[in-house]
Amino acid sequence: MSRDARERILSRVRDANRDREPVSHPGPLPEAAEPPGPFTQAADAEVDGQTGVADPVDAFENRLRAAGGEVVRLADKAAVRAWLKEFASEFESVSVCKGVPQGLQPELAAAAPSEASLGVSLAVGAAAQTGSLLLSSREGRQAQLLPPVHLVWVRAQDVHTTLGEALQACREDLPATLALHSGPSKSADIGQILVTGVHGPGRIIAAILGADA
Amino acid sequence: MRVSLFVTCLGDRFFANAAADAVRLLRSLDVEVDFPKDQTCCGQPAWNAGDVPEALRMATHTAEVFADADYVVLPSGSCTAMLRCTYPRLLEAPAVAERSYELAEFIVDVLEVTELGRGLEGRRLAYHHGCHALRELGLETQPVRLLESAGAGVVPWEMDQECCGFGGLFSVKNPEVSVAMADRKLDTLPDVETVVSADGGCLLQLDGRARHRGLPIRFKSLASVLWEARRGGS
Amino acid sequence: MEVHSGDYRARARRIIEETPEVREAVTAATRTFVEHRLEAFADLDEDALSHWAERVKSHALTHLADYLEEAEARLVERGAHVHWAESASDVHRILERIVRDNGVKKVVKAKSMLSEEVGLNPFLESCGVEVLETDLGEYIIQLFDEPPSHIVGPSIHRSLDDIRAIFHERLGTPRDASPERLAAAARELLRNAFLTAEMGISGGNFLVAETGSIALIENEGNIRLATSVPRIHVALIGIEKVLPKWDDLSIFLQVTAKSATGQPVGCFVSIIQGPGGSAAGEPDGPEELHVVLVDNGRSRLLADPEVWEALRCVRCGACLNICPVYRQTGGHAYGYVYSGPIGAILAPGLVGLEETLPLPFASTHCGACKDVCPVRIPIPDLLHVWRKRAVERGLTSGVERSVLGLWASVVTRPALFGLAEKVAGLIPDQVVRHLPMLREWSAGRELPRATGRTFRELWDEGIE
Repeated sequence: MSRDARERILSRVRDANRDREPVSHPGPLPEAAEPPGPFTQAADAEVDGQTGVADPVDAFENRLRAAGGEVVRLADKAAVRAWLKEFASEFESVSVCKGVPQGLQPELAAAAPSEASLGVSLAVGAAAQTGSLLLSSREGRQAQLLPPVHLVWVRAQDVHTTLGEALQACREDLPATLALHSGPSKSADIGQILVTGVHGPGRIIAAILGADA
Repeated sequence: MRVSLFVTCLGDRFFANAAADAVRLLRSLDVEVDFPKDQTCCGQPAWNAGDVPEALRMATHTAEVFADADYVVLPSGSCTAMLRCTYPRLLEAPAVAERSYELAEFIVDVLEVTELGRGLEGRRLAYHHGCHALRELGLETQPVRLLESAGAGVVPWEMDQECCGFGGLFSVKNPEVSVAMADRKLDTLPDVETVVSADGGCLLQLDGRARHRGLPIRFKSLASVLWEARRGGS
Repeated sequence: MEVHSGDYRARARRIIEETPEVREAVTAATRTFVEHRLEAFADLDEDALSHWAERVKSHALTHLADYLEEAEARLVERGAHVHWAESASDVHRILERIVRDNGVKKVVKAKSMLSEEVGLNPFLESCGVEVLETDLGEYIIQLFDEPPSHIVGPSIHRSLDDIRAIFHERLGTPRDASPERLAAAARELLRNAFLTAEMGISGGNFLVAETGSIALIENEGNIRLATSVPRIHVALIGIEKVLPKWDDLSIFLQVTAKSATGQPVGCFVSIIQGPGGSAAGEPDGPEELHVVLVDNGRSRLLADPEVWEALRCVRCGACLNICPVYRQTGGHAYGYVYSGPIGAILAPGLVGLEETLPLPFASTHCGACKDVCPVRIPIPDLLHVWRKRAVERGLTSGVERSVLGLWASVVTRPALFGLAEKVAGLIPDQVVRHLPMLREWSAGRELPRATGRTFRELWDEGIE
């Protein structure tokens, strides 16, 4: 039974380490060695010719765009309304995750995640270092994955510089699954040729909400 | 300054002229060269094959032969790596380990000579980096520096650091893969007449395959080419 | 899975001679990975990163029992079932029970090397379960009915033409379908599978002890789907995959992605703490999460003082990508789920040296792998350990041992050495060509040409 297997495995593992010098945990990685945000890497220089970007939101935008994602910055409620109306006009139906505020929901017919042409999420955070949006399973996962296009709202103040910081912020209240989405779905498995939208959404749009939005 | 030359087992038989050129080169740089007669093989073939006891026998013999040398110079990257990196694992504090140098390494790092002459003016060469020299000795720049300062154009070669497929007994235990590796090297060569290497095994492998395929490329030992660099006029 | 490593030389030969396009495809793919990896690490202090990662993994391994218990406790607190499997057959029995208890008819699988290692797919099929690989590369090799040939890109040995042909045959796509069209066909078929399968099976890149989190890295989104849509999620995780702390995760996610493909991070990362759905008060997600912690030889490898460091492996594939031997054939020559340099040091440990004897010798010891390992596994040294043991156990060829013994005897007697050189010089090439070992040399290469006189002779004559 699994119980016995457990005892035997743990016992063998303990025996294996019995005469070995234990290695101590090195603590956090020295900050100097942290992978930089997209401050110096070539992809970002191509994206908009800028280097030495200091603001995490700018850095996040550069990194996500370099990975093929789309980014829009919306300063206030008026900007949100205007942009959302125009954006939604491309789609027939939407599946909105639980907890997305009314003002951030497109005016479209609701459909099941497996039928909708657009899915809408509210990120619990983001990381500039890797261009990642942090998504919680508490809002429901299917709308994050099944529609071919994924719109993710994220508040500018929730954009962290490093992935470590973004994950630390979630540490005390982890959902069943915390997911990082850092670009559109892709694969190069077919003869090394890049294809997008393989299983997950082929388009991801991060809509960054300014303080007044 | 006095050095002992370790010609290596392959060198003695297949690269004798190149080793003689190494002697001439060192003498022209005011280095006295002696040749301990009892030298034979560093033991690398046995070590690579996993035969530690036999490797130990050969290492013990070699370490004794060179016990009194101030410097041991070898026209071979892989044998130098054997002495410097592996002997300390086989023998108790072998003096020979720290005192062993590949030829180009010795010239640049010990003699601090970076210009031998202009004897390679106008020559187009490709340089093959032997794996032991490159990764165990860290010998990436010294040979090319000496070649270029002598006027040679060392032509960029995208596969110059990739293994040639010799690997000692690997070449005969997995001959098909070994030959495929040599082919990849040969097929990606830029347009040059001569390929230079500091390793005898690599030269035998690439030259052997090139001749079999009838390719008109010449393979030369680094030692000989460096002597040409010096002799051709300073 | 069945191990065919004993046939390495013959398999390699067949691949090189009969399907030369594999060598081209694998070389092109691995060179691209190498290029991207170099770009990704260009501005980074690779030394600092790898030293840190090495220590974290070594710390985890030297405290493994405690961390496994901690991970289990966290998972159980959140409602997951944790199972322990000593062997492949244990894994089979555990899965069989879950399948039977839940009437599972269809499984969607995310890529898991461990599931290949324990031969899970054939077993599930024998239980009457339909198994669909959802990673595009895995789906492709499933169509070809062959094992993966690379840890990260299972189908890199297959060209676009190969894939067009098999998709045309099985899915009815046009003969000249574009990659987009092929991917769309796979997406449609597999999407239906995600929505109707009762169970999703994944592996695990990392298991964070502090929070009981399973981390999974991917680019396609199939892992997210396979671990979110079906009612049951089973995660197979090797016991060596443990990371001690939540704070360790961010660096390992980035370093693994950079080492594998040069990306800052995979497009999707799933960090799973427990079941979802009503068990967690969430709108969806699997109602049941089963975590199977698998030993299958890992504890024995951990006990091995000379080889345990191989367990630090994060399965990035960087060593495969840089290996000049691997790229001549791809992974199928190795006859085992793990190929390339890491396969050559894991296989003898997990399976046994006798069954995998050629693998530690399938290397020229060039050392390139050691330079790229993000957790500093001293691969060349570990290859040498297995070679040494092969000799000690009398597993290497008698001819080879005799030749080396003879060589050692000759070279430790200088007078004999001189004589041997003279004798060797007298043997005509026609004869030399057929001597053992030299016969293998001569098949594709000209014999070395001895210079007229040996160096010794030149020295005695006086060098001017």
